[in-house]
Amino acid sequence: MLTFEPDETLAHRLDPRSKLAVQIGFAATALAHPTPRALIVLSVLTGLLLAAASVSLRRTLVAYRFALIVLVLAPILSGLSLGTPWFDRPAAVTSGLASYRVLLILLVSAAYVRSTPVRASRAAIQRTIPGKPGQVLGTGIALVFRFLPVLQSDLRTIREAMAARLGTERGAIDRASTIGTLGITRAFNRADRLSLALQARCFAWNPTLPPLEFSRVDYPALVLAIGLALSAFY
Amino acid sequence: MIEFQSVSHAFDDVAVLEDVSLSLGDGEFVLLAGANGSGKTTLLRHCNGLLTPDSGDVLVDGTPVVDDLIAARSSVGMVFQHPRDQFVAATVGADVAFGPENLGLAREEIDRRVDAALEAVNMAGRDDDRIDTLSGGEQSRVAIAGALAMEPTHLVLDEPFTGLDEPARRSVLERLESLSADGTGILLATHDLRDVTGLADRVIAMRDGRVAVDGPPEHALTELDGLEIRVPEQ
Amino acid sequence: MATEQNSVDLVDDTVVRQFARAALLAALIGATAAVSIPIPFSPEPITLQVLFVFLAGLVLGPVWGFVSLVLYLAAGAVGAPVFAGLNGGVGVLVGNSGGYLWSYPIAAALIGFIVHRGTELRDLTAVWLPVIVGALLAGTIVIYGMGTAYMAWLLELGAWEALSLGAFPFIPVEILKMIAAIAIVRSGGLRPVRS
Repeated sequence: MLTFEPDETLAHRLDPRSKLAVQIGFAATALAHPTPRALIVLSVLTGLLLAAASVSLRRTLVAYRFALIVLVLAPILSGLSLGTPWFDRPAAVTSGLASYRVLLILLVSAAYVRSTPVRASRAAIQRTIPGKPGQVLGTGIALVFRFLPVLQSDLRTIREAMAARLGTERGAIDRASTIGTLGITRAFNRADRLSLALQARCFAWNPTLPPLEFSRVDYPALVLAIGLALSAFY
Repeated sequence: MIEFQSVSHAFDDVAVLEDVSLSLGDGEFVLLAGANGSGKTTLLRHCNGLLTPDSGDVLVDGTPVVDDLIAARSSVGMVFQHPRDQFVAATVGADVAFGPENLGLAREEIDRRVDAALEAVNMAGRDDDRIDTLSGGEQSRVAIAGALAMEPTHLVLDEPFTGLDEPARRSVLERLESLSADGTGILLATHDLRDVTGLADRVIAMRDGRVAVDGPPEHALTELDGLEIRVPEQ
Repeated sequence: MATEQNSVDLVDDTVVRQFARAALLAALIGATAAVSIPIPFSPEPITLQVLFVFLAGLVLGPVWGFVSLVLYLAAGAVGAPVFAGLNGGVGVLVGNSGGYLWSYPIAAALIGFIVHRGTELRDLTAVWLPVIVGALLAGTIVIYGMGTAYMAWLLELGAWEALSLGAFPFIPVEILKMIAAIAIVRSGGLRPVRS
């Protein structure tokens, strides 16, 4: 599982906005250029970005294993054809290059995930998107991070209780609707209690925003982001 | 100063509060006792405008709560049952900062309040701890810190000991005692009066939506019979 | 007390309730990513996430159902491990499952809009059953349409190849999820916040 890890790497010191910009620029140019030459350059860049955040390549590949299966299957499926020549090599290669760029994009985003705590992401969002949408997104994201482990443990409890009551012998629909009903009921009970706490603490549309500041290391990162984004058009 | 002036409240035509009048002075430590369904929680939720009376008025420092919700909610800090569902951030410091951020305070002032609030609940320097790694007692204390960061004159707590073991319960009680000594008014709703009566200046007991008993602990305790309140054994 | 606090713009009480429910449903959808079941011959594990996308539209309605799924995507984008396989990251949103993920808010809004006939929420037990079925079918078509179309474009696949990789293996399971969603709302156990 990919997650934020406290560290002192270059990526950890960057402003989250620069890191988001680099990712978007990278994705844009990778999507625009599924050519061998561009992908070689982007592979080298991916390596540098991973190193800047001390991301373990092996662990990241394991984390994205489900995506990897699709990325491997796609070119095979694309090459297979009913009838001669049975395997269409150019089609498989095209699809293979297309798949490979997706892998690079995934790896680059792993560098962001490892190097950015939630509060920094939240600050980036609230400082980039003004007004109510920014506040809904920023606070909402904080709440998702906060309640994810709580609701995971709720779901675990529900499934254990179901298993204890011979739940494994029940039909799939029955099980899914039980998990759905109990899961949402519990989540909404928590939400109703949470909303009282939000109100009691003066939940407002215009709070003081979390602090965030560009430093000197951010400027090269922003230049890189702009360069990547522009290269998408060539 | 929190004043109730003949407050009545009904849910779906069932009267939950009937003509309640009382006044809680600054710095008073008041216990609110009563069985489940006696109207305790409803009473508490009128203190900061989470509920609005069907008739009568609630005033905080002389101003009707409905006229200035922000003033009422910053003067009356509230801590609910189930601290787990009251947190808005994944880490301690970010959560405690939530209230002052909503008040639009300057960042330095927010940081000062967070430090002071954590200090007051014996959690100084734990800003970066993840909330889901804290014990039940620590979570309760962080929830209290979240309310304290609003710098309230009164702190209202609804069954804060639910689910706490004895050491955790005592750690919360100790904090309340020291807050009270520093001049914060405390209104503590509980159905379990063990070793809290010694701290209180006054005990109010509810029955069927009315104030049944109101007086100093030594006097009030003798009148609690039949109210289904767990009274300390002498 | 007439200081800087006069400028505090409190979020309205009903909005707070809806917002809290939307955020917690987003977290719940994320939590179900941990309950994924890999199936043979299919690259994507089965999760109950689509069931909760249905429920978001049904129970929260078009506006907050949409917000809930946007929060889910945003939290995932910045690294919450909420996508299938317990991953997060912007890359997942442009990766091979990106089309499915982007379709979720749209599908939830569409389902909510059809079932509630607008933004005012109705009692789900009173909604004519074929309307719910139609709404869920429309939502499913949006999810798989966007999901496979994007995958086909991204991985340079033909339409048929994309459908056999990204849609056909899931049809039986999706039907089960629709039935489960209907059973849940018809039981009347979940009530929308209407005021």
